[in-house]
This record gives sequence, structure tokens and C-alpha cells, in this order.
Amino acid sequence: MAHSHKPTCKEVMNHICDNLGEDLDSPKCTEIKNHLEHCEKCQKYYKSIQITIQSYKTYQVKITDDVHRNLMDFLNLGDCEE
Amino acid sequence: MEEKELIKKAQEGDRNALAKLVKLYEQTVYNFAFKICRDKERAEHTMQETFLSMVKSIKQFSGKSKLSTWLYTVVSNHCLMMARSNKKHLHASIDDEDSLIDEKNITDWNISPERIAENGELKDILNEAINKLPPDYRIVFMLRDIQGFSTEETGKAINLSVPAVKSRLHRARAFLRNELNNTFSDGT
Repeated sequence: MAHSHKPTCKEVMNHICDNLGEDLDSPKCTEIKNHLEHCEKCQKYYKSIQITIQSYKTYQVKITDDVHRNLMDFLNLGDCEE
Repeated sequence: MEEKELIKKAQEGDRNALAKLVKLYEQTVYNFAFKICRDKERAEHTMQETFLSMVKSIKQFSGKSKLSTWLYTVVSNHCLMMARSNKKHLHASIDDEDSLIDEKNITDWNISPERIAENGELKDILNEAINKLPPDYRIVFMLRDIQGFSTEETGKAINLSVPAVKSRLHRARAFLRNELNNTFSDGT
């Protein structure tokens, strides 16, 4: 008979950090998903990790005109500007 | 003109096509370099070196991978070299994996990422948090989570094994989340 190990919250949180974004279908992942569906604490942790990633994704540092011109001059492509 | 056509023309010596390729990717390369280097001058220098590598080796580019993947690999390694030569900055130690997840410190976050990115004060908090993260971890987080590389692609880009990528990503995510928790948790 297969031994079934119920994951703890800590294991689920570690797993979220390891595997968020990877669509895995192993028995361990199924256990994790089941736990996540019913555990409010782990759902909060999952959400906070997602917001962390999304915040850095949304935050863009824009290149200035000076930095663009310096780059084109550095590459000797300054005369190729339209 | 499609990217493939631009690459072909650039390989044939068309400087206008080369300039268009630079313009196509300068924003993403600069943004990436800034988030790793944490300094405008260093980010600009890294971006220039990255595109210089592209200009010099465009003729050898085989097209087996996307040009963007190739550029991120080059910029990542330039950033790592620069970070390793700049030892003045002290980073947080995130070796103690157990302390990264504190079950008592789990709160609800009711804030949208868009609001964070639009708010100067909150952006400073994002900057402070990622600034504390050692560059070796920062680069894994950036490639895997922000640029959308797979774990295997991330490892290949910076010469790390898949388990090492996973371990660094795990720690980087948990560390950044903890740093932001006080500000972004419910009630703020």
C-alpha cells in the first residue's frame, strides 16, 4: 500500500517558492494543490508571492533620449536615426 | 519588417537594419541591466557592452534561439561580471533557508501590482528590497520570473545547474516577499 504523506504548510510554502509557474503533475504536486485549495494561510502566501513577482514585472525603468543617443553614438550608428 | 528579415539584412551589412534591431531591444535590455546593476551609469555601460557584442557577432548569430534570449544571456553575464567586481555593496545573507519562511508572518496582501509600480514611494520599497538581494540571486529572479525564461534556459544562460536555479529562485522569491510584507500586507 502506498504511503500517503500530507504536506505541512511549510512544505507547501516551500513548494510554491520552488515551483510557481511550472505546471507539474506529479503526485506531490497534486497533494500540494489539494492543500492549497483548502488552506487559507497558504493561499495568502501564494498570493503574496504572485504580487511580488507581478510588481517587479510591472515596474519598468524607461530609457532616456540621452542614453539612447549615447548608445547609438557608441555603436557608430548615430547616422542611422530616422 | 520582421525581426528575422532585420537580422538577415544586418548580417549582410545593412547598418539601418542593425540600428533598428538595437532600437527594438534597447528598452528591455536597459530595464533589465538597471534592475541588476542598481545604478544608471553601470546599467548604461552594461547595455552598451551588450549591444557592442551583438554588433560584433551578428554575422555568427545562427537564429537557433531568439535574439532576445541571446541578448539576455549576454547582458546577464555582463551584469554578473560587473557585480563581482563591485564588492563594496553589502548584500543580505539568505543562506538560512529555514528563516526565509515564517509561518507566523503570513498576512493578506490587498494591493495591486499596478498601484505599486505607479507610486514613487512604493517603487522605492521595491528598489530597496531588490538592492539587498545578492546579484547572483537577483539575476535568477529576473530571468526566470520577470523575463519568463524556463528553469533550464535560466541555467543555460548563466551556467548554473537546474537544482541551483531552483534553489536561488526559491530563496529570492521568499526573501523579496518578506522584505515587502510589512508594507504590502493588509491594512497598509
